Amino acid sequence: MAAEPSPVMCIEEENLFVQLTHDRLDIPSIMARVKSPKAGAVVLFAGTTRDSFADKPVVHLAYSAYAPLALRTMQSIARDVKGKHSLTAIAMVHRLGVCPVGEESILIAVSSPHRLAAWRAGEQALEECKERVEVWKLEEFGGSEGAVWRANRDGQAGARVEDTMGDVGGQR
Amino acid sequence: MSTPKAPTGHFTLLYFASATSFTRKQHDFFAAPLPLAKLYEAVEEKYPGIKAKVLESSALTVNLDYVDVEEEVQKGDKGLVIQAGDEVAIIPPVSSGYEHLYHGQTLQPDTC
Repeated sequence: MAAEPSPVMCIEEENLFVQLTHDRLDIPSIMARVKSPKAGAVVLFAGTTRDSFADKPVVHLAYSAYAPLALRTMQSIARDVKGKHSLTAIAMVHRLGVCPVGEESILIAVSSPHRLAAWRAGEQALEECKERVEVWKLEEFGGSEGAVWRANRDGQAGARVEDTMGDVGGQR
Repeated sequence: MSTPKAPTGHFTLLYFASATSFTRKQHDFFAAPLPLAKLYEAVEEKYPGIKAKVLESSALTVNLDYVDVEEEVQKGDKGLVIQAGDEVAIIPPVSSGYEHLYHGQTLQPDTC
């Protein structure tokens, strides 16, 4: 990763926040973005890098994104979910670059007056993010297996990658 | 956001994930104007085999809007024409299907 200053990669509007970042994700700060005296329920989803895929050990994951488009898609999902479930607020952040095993790659926080809407909204927001947001995942298995670009939507094992690790991080 | 700026008379084509793996680049510049219907031919000429391996399973955006390539091909002369300065991107399937069918079985979620 080049040591250039990180560009601003977020969109903020009233009670809605979406972000892409190369930094570690911070749970208290994303929770704070949705808390409100009006909201009796906050649901937080934290997606964490697992140590295996199909029984193969994963050393780390790396994410790249088409950042301007991914942010726009996240904003569209957040608006839609917020409206549909009458949320008080919603915040979603996705990590880019290398994400070591055990660290979070995505956080979604939603708040609403009552818990049922919050549970459902959190679930829908996550599903739509995974389905639509223009972020790609590279799994580093270590050893001869190397790195694999994962196109999981197809349920396929993905393609071996050679010499593309320098590209991870996507458009900056 | 430092999206590469195309030289005069060119547009930018961005590559991600499997498209980056195939081309070993993050972007190329192509001469404009170019009918969208001719884009895949131009890319295939530069990177033989990319159409079957990458393009056919990918989506395409022009200036951050998705376009239906097949539909543009069918429009013939009336189809979209890529202009100088446009930002075009090949969008491979995104990484993060949560649960999906694979040989009739539901795979475990991948990152969560």
